[in-house]
This record gives sequence, C-alpha cells and structure tokens, in this order.
Amino acid sequence: MRRGWEMCLQPTRDGSAVGDMSLRHASPVLLGLLLTALAFSQEIILPQEKAGGHVPPAHVPGVAPKAGQVITDDLGRSFPRPARPPERIVSMAPNITEILFALGLGGRVAGVTRFCDFPLEAQRLPRIGGLVDPNVEIVRSLDPDLVVAFRGNPLRLVDRIRKLGLPVFVLDIGRSLDDLAPLITKIGRVTAAEPRAEELSAGLRSRLAAVDAALAGAARRPKVFVLLYGQGLWTCGGESYVNDLIGRAGGTNVASALPKKWALYKRERIIRDDPDVVFILARSAADFAAGRDRLAAMPGIGAVSAVRTGRIYEIDENAASRFGPRLVDVLDRMAELLHPDRFGGRP
Amino acid sequence: MSRARGLRIFWAICLVLCLAGFLVSVLTGPVRTTPGDLVRFVQNPDRVHAAIFLDLRLARGVLAFLVGAALALSGAILQGYFRNPMADPFVVGVSSGASLGAVIATAVGFEAVAFGFSGPGLLAFLSGLGIVSTVYALSLRRGGFKVETILLTGIAAGALASALTSFLLFMRSDSYDQAVFWLLGSFQLAEWSQAATIAPWIALCLAASLWLARDMDLLALGDETAQALGSPVRRVRKAFLAMSALLAALAVAVSGIIGFVGLVVPHWVRLLIGPSHRRLFAASALAGGTFLLYCDLLARNLLPAELPIGVITAAVGAPFFLYLLHKKR
Repeated sequence: MRRGWEMCLQPTRDGSAVGDMSLRHASPVLLGLLLTALAFSQEIILPQEKAGGHVPPAHVPGVAPKAGQVITDDLGRSFPRPARPPERIVSMAPNITEILFALGLGGRVAGVTRFCDFPLEAQRLPRIGGLVDPNVEIVRSLDPDLVVAFRGNPLRLVDRIRKLGLPVFVLDIGRSLDDLAPLITKIGRVTAAEPRAEELSAGLRSRLAAVDAALAGAARRPKVFVLLYGQGLWTCGGESYVNDLIGRAGGTNVASALPKKWALYKRERIIRDDPDVVFILARSAADFAAGRDRLAAMPGIGAVSAVRTGRIYEIDENAASRFGPRLVDVLDRMAELLHPDRFGGRP
Repeated sequence: MSRARGLRIFWAICLVLCLAGFLVSVLTGPVRTTPGDLVRFVQNPDRVHAAIFLDLRLARGVLAFLVGAALALSGAILQGYFRNPMADPFVVGVSSGASLGAVIATAVGFEAVAFGFSGPGLLAFLSGLGIVSTVYALSLRRGGFKVETILLTGIAAGALASALTSFLLFMRSDSYDQAVFWLLGSFQLAEWSQAATIAPWIALCLAASLWLARDMDLLALGDETAQALGSPVRRVRKAFLAMSALLAALAVAVSGIIGFVGLVVPHWVRLLIGPSHRRLFAASALAGGTFLLYCDLLARNLLPAELPIGVITAAVGAPFFLYLLHKKR
C-alpha cells in the first residue's frame, strides 16, 4: 500500500545498541583464507570499523567534546556537539529534510530520500532510496559528515551505515504536536544551528498557543472522521499524531480508540459514530473530489451529519503526513474548519 | 575428449567465472564506478572507495560466495544421504526452524550480537540446528534408523515451524519488513565479520566431506552393502547429517533462507562431471558459490531497489526443478 508514507512505517521497537563485532580478531583469518592478494586492505578496513563502534564518530567537523558538550540521539547514542554546521548532511526522511531546510541548512543537504519533495529544492538533490530501503552504498558515496535518520528506517540498515564509520543521528517518530519543537531543537543541536532552531520552535509554539487561545472555552467538540484518500476506509487511530492534531484543533477523532497509527475503519462504525466533519487527506483537489464522492455514494453514509451538511474538507496529505513545521499549518486549517466562529469566519 | 581433460576444463571455467564474478561485483552497484576508479583506488586508497569497494561490495561478494558454497555442499551431501535427487539443505527442517528462530528474535526484540551474527541470525542458527537434532532424535526412537523416517519427520517438523512462523508474523505485523529479509534472503547487510565467522566452518565441513566422500559413494549401493564393504555406515551418516545441517544453518544465519541453490547446483555439477562424491562435493562448493555470487549481482543491480535474493535463485532454480521432475517421468 502506498498511501501516506508514515503509515507504511512502523517504529523500530528496539533501540538497543548493536555492539561492534569481532571483526578485528576474525578478519585476519578470513583475509588469509580468501584474499591473500588483498591483504593490504586490512589497514583500510580496520580503522573505519573502529570509527563505527562504541566510539563517538570522529569526523564531525569541529569536534571538541567537552563535558556538557555531548548530545544524544533518540537511541541514546552520544554525539559530540559540533562547533559549526556539518557540510554534507544526508536526510533519511522527508520531515527531516523539511526541518533541515527550515533551519536554513538546505545548501548543506547532500542526499535525501525519494519521498523528500518539500521544499521544491529538495527534489533536485541526490536520492539515497526510500525510507525502508535506503541504499547504504549511495549514502556512503555521498561521504556525509552527518546522517540524520529516524526510527522508521530499519535499524539494521542504520547500523550498517554507522559501521561504515558515518555518524548517524537517529530520531524518534513524533506522537503529538508537543514533540515537534523538541525534534527541531535536537536537529538544530546536532547541526550547530541552535539559534535558528530556537527561533523556529518558538514561532511554532506561539502559533500553537494562539490556536489554544482561540479555542479556549469552546463548548462543543465536533466529531471528526479522517479519511485517507485511496482504496478502503483508512483512518488514523489513537496512536497517530494526526489524532493529536484533531484534538488540538478542537475536534474529537471518532477512531481515537483504535490502538494503532492507521487502521481500516468499518462503514457501519462511521454511520454509528455520525461524525460532524470529515477530513480527507488528499494529494490533489481531484483526489479529494473523488474521495468525497466515493464516500458520499456509499450506502447509508448519506445519513451521516458531515455528508448531510456538506462539511467534508480537504487536508493536504503531503503536509499532514510529515512530522514537520507544516503540521502547524494543518492545525490552523483544521481549527478554522472545525470552529469557524472562533477565527472570525461565519459559522 | 578424455575424462581428465573435461574435468580440467570444468574447473578452469568455474574458476574463471568465479573470479570474473568477484571483479564484476566489486565494480557494479548503485554508485557508478569504473575499472579506472578501482585501479586508482588500489594505487591510492581513499576512505569513500575503501568503504564501497571493500566493506560493501567485496564483503558482500565474499559472503554470497561462502553461503552459496555452503548451501550447494549441504545439498550435495543430502542428495547422496537420502539417495534422492529432490533433497536439498532445507528438507530436514533447517529452513523452517531457522526462520522460526529469526522471527521469534525480531518479535521479542532480541538483539544480542555474538560471533558476528545478529540477534535474529543467532537464534536462526540455533533453532535451525535444534530442529534437525529433534528430527534426528525422533526418527531414532523406534529403534531402527530409516532414511524415510528422517525425511518425513523433517517435513512434519518443518510444517509445524512454518505454521508458528506465520502465526507470529500475523500477530506482529510490524516485524514484516524484517521477516521478508529472513524469509527470502538478502546479502544487504553483509559484513566481513560474518564472512570471517562462517568461513572456517565451511572450510572444515568441505575438508571433512571430501575425506568421507568414498563412504558416501558406498552408501549409494545401499546401507547393507556399504556396511559389508567395511564402511561404518551409522557414523558416516551421522557425520554427514550434522555437516549438512551445520552448513545450512550457518548460511541461514547470515543471509536468511535462500532456496534452490542447494537443490539445483549439485545437479548441474553431477551432469557435468559425474557422480563421484569427492569431485561432486568440491565442485558443488565452487559452483554454488559462483552461482550465488551472480544471483546476488542480479539481486542488487536488476532494479533500482534491491530484490530479495531468494526471488532470483527461485526464478533460475524453479524452471530447472520442473525440468528434472518431468525428465523423471
């Protein structure tokens, strides 16, 4: 299934460090056995392997790890705090790419995934593959001094990249809007772009506060059904940050009891839930229209409030499916659609 | 053409193909590299090319070769052992046992690392060997030792392990991506440490199988005849079964389950150089390694995204399997 990329991904559960292997002891045996001709390669392989082990990566620019100068990624691995921004950053997820660009580091991004299409400049950068299938060789060939990955990338590939001696900074998948500012701060820290990161997070925080203020004391919380455009009634469950987004926007996700990020919903349940509003996550106006018509044409759905009152709205899937700064745009839009009276519009 | 000359030609072709395969596998990949780059690298090594040529491509080629050799040797041993052309390394349940182990490891998040194996690799190895031991113990219970009993017990135990694997996958759908890696095989994560771990064991098994090859020839005449001719049938059988299981389990532990190599390669070799087991074992190992080296080349270069290697070996192996089946009729 190739709908919003976020749903295809599952966080890698276990973050435990995979220790560095017994290569140093074993490789002479192997090389002696098989590769006498290439025996000199040992000198080349071994120092690299060391760099990828427990030792913090050595060649982040301006390395000067003093006390209090060490930062940790979401796998708990420590990184020296760089003095200046890395020169060549590989981003392994679209939201990371987006945040790097928002931090003004776009010119330093050396590689992105094939899903990284925002901002437009990102589309012109070298592609390292997808989220679950990044190509280790391409990543290595870009010779990055920082790789920013997230938990949706398979840990085994992330570790393979790390063992090649590249510093890989792994970030968690956000669960709620409150995780956004810390995520930006972390990326800012590892790229020595703290001031810009603080500015960006402060801006986002104040926009979140503005939405909260506008909605303060709102008595009614419209019931919302989220539909992901495509085959079947895919909706977001309680574990998706989209669920949090709806709550923040003053609505109630009818599927919030589902203990999943994304799940297939049943038509009967929509009829029973009787949502006041339907948000369709779509990539284009045409997709939205098709999704709306298909939903409205389903037997029994015509009686649902949202369909009767025509409160079916388009949400930009591209922005909503990436845990980045544009989520706040999505929040603004959702809040205005759910509570037009609170935002100076007509109810 | 004399027999000896034919043999020499066979070995020469295999060796040339093998070396050419290594060269091509070092030179090809998603990152464009030319022979010129390789020459420049040898003269003046740099970090990026060291990683690409040696840590990624050569390590991967070597591991693919070793696994191919292990699987083909294991298959050659078992085909002789069962006197059945359809036997392959996974017939006694190694594959199902190993995949169950790997899936359990991913489901519970077992990530311990030992001997260059990952957590799932380690559990795959242990459970693969475990299931063969169980099968062997079960088939010995009724006193007599019968090849058919092992075969059937292996199939039944394998089916049980597969059912458990499917159940676990169903319960933990988030480990699906990992599971595909194990169930169809891949050398994507190849590392020198893995090659270094399995190489000595494969070499040991190869040496032992060459040493015992004469006894395997005798087994082809039937256990009673072999016994009468002075072969310690019971012990020979035990040793061969242990070796074939060890080889298959090692292969699975580093690369997941790669089918058809162990089935078809010994057949190809037998067609070309005859059934004498000493030659068959050595040639199967070389040809199997070379075959898998080329399969891996296809797996990583055919499409922009990597194919599981099991897809390639099956695509090449299955038609041959069908051909064999129909030739029998």
